[in-house]
Amino acid sequence: MIYVQAVLLGVPMTVLITVLAFAVGAVLGVPLALARRSPLGPLRWGARFVIDVLRGIPPVVFLFVIYFGVGTGVIKLSSLQAAVIGLGLIAAGYLAEIYRGGLLAVHKGQFESAAALGMDSWTSMSRIIGPQAFRVALPSATTYAIGLLKDSSIASTITATEILYRATASSRGHGAGLEPFLIAAVVYIALGAPLAWLSRTMDARMRARVAR
Amino acid sequence: MTATPTPVTDHPVGVTLRDVRKQFGDHVVVDDVSMEVAPGEVVSIIGPSGAGKSTLLRCINLLERPDSGDITVGDVTIHPETGVSPKDLTSLRRTAGMVFQSFNLFPHLTVLRNISIAQERVLGRDRKEAEARSRELLARVGLAEKADTYPTRSSGGQQQRIAIARALAMEPKVMLFDEPTSALDPELGLDVLEVMRGLAGEGMTMIVVTHEMHFAQDVSDRIVVMADGRIIEQGPPSQVLTAPSNERTKRFLRAVTDR
Repeated sequence: MIYVQAVLLGVPMTVLITVLAFAVGAVLGVPLALARRSPLGPLRWGARFVIDVLRGIPPVVFLFVIYFGVGTGVIKLSSLQAAVIGLGLIAAGYLAEIYRGGLLAVHKGQFESAAALGMDSWTSMSRIIGPQAFRVALPSATTYAIGLLKDSSIASTITATEILYRATASSRGHGAGLEPFLIAAVVYIALGAPLAWLSRTMDARMRARVAR
Repeated sequence: MTATPTPVTDHPVGVTLRDVRKQFGDHVVVDDVSMEVAPGEVVSIIGPSGAGKSTLLRCINLLERPDSGDITVGDVTIHPETGVSPKDLTSLRRTAGMVFQSFNLFPHLTVLRNISIAQERVLGRDRKEAEARSRELLARVGLAEKADTYPTRSSGGQQQRIAIARALAMEPKVMLFDEPTSALDPELGLDVLEVMRGLAGEGMTMIVVTHEMHFAQDVSDRIVVMADGRIIEQGPPSQVLTAPSNERTKRFLRAVTDR
């Protein structure tokens, strides 16, 4: 029971890292996805380069670089800040590609009819194309959120007091071996289950509505 | 059709194309076409597929940017070669309404919102006014009861009538129709053609790319025949359809009527 309590102590930090990193990624992913489709070559190539870099670095390496590299220099970052920035930037890379997939799924005729009605590109994107692309992207984005929830355990390596950190501490402190980690596993599943359910429900609802 | 015709246009305008040329790569799709459409005139463009009919129509509201030539719609003149200002583009597209072969309704919005959204975002009408106008236009095309449904719940013919209402909501002074019934079963197309007839009767300037020979014959003031990116023949329906002078036109009409 003491292990359960100890591991549960890490839940708020895990949730915080996941939610904040996802928010950072969800916001920064938008300009990246749009830049990736820009008619300006340099902008397009730049965005692709950034996305490839963000997706190419293992999260643990990225967190080390930010926490021990940037964090110890002029700028001092807490483990939470470093984890949110690191995982958030990586999420931006992945979500940009998920958004891009969503945009590609919107039929060309939608762009044309918005244009023919006199909408400028901002109105067309924010009212017509964006919402449709978002719906297509939603299931994949939720799946990514579940992955991010699990990846947040990497933040334990930079001493963020999340679930895995608590489990490790409690295992070492009490010589308990496996048990705290099994509890941690169950807690991760319990946290991820609602997201998985949400993803499936939204997917089904979206398909029902725009079924052609 | 519902018998409450709201006038949709007070001042139809004309369209003038001068030496409009469009090519995709090496392929010249529209080959220096010039054409004048008078205010209130209904012109049908017919011809074999690949003739450049749709591309020509799409050049008028700049969905395709011509490589050269001038386009005048009402009092807006565009020289695509020298660039197009956003202001001219907007006023061009507000003047010319367009109806597509594949309807292109917005699937994530209700029918009412489909018709209202551009009125709000482009014309700056408030929501109440826009929706009132939308309901009026929906009634006009006989689909008042569809207002709060999503477009995919409607048949193809109904969707196309909704698309016409959506275009009319912007109070265009010219309507461009790009094969509006080609994606529809023959029976479903009838209601669409009926709505178009009504518009023509009210004096709307209309340019219609079509394979509907009966419609072209009954409703148009003039038929333009295109082949290989050029206008090969034009004139009143009676002349073009019954006594065509061009060999290519004769061949095309035989192919259409022999079906």
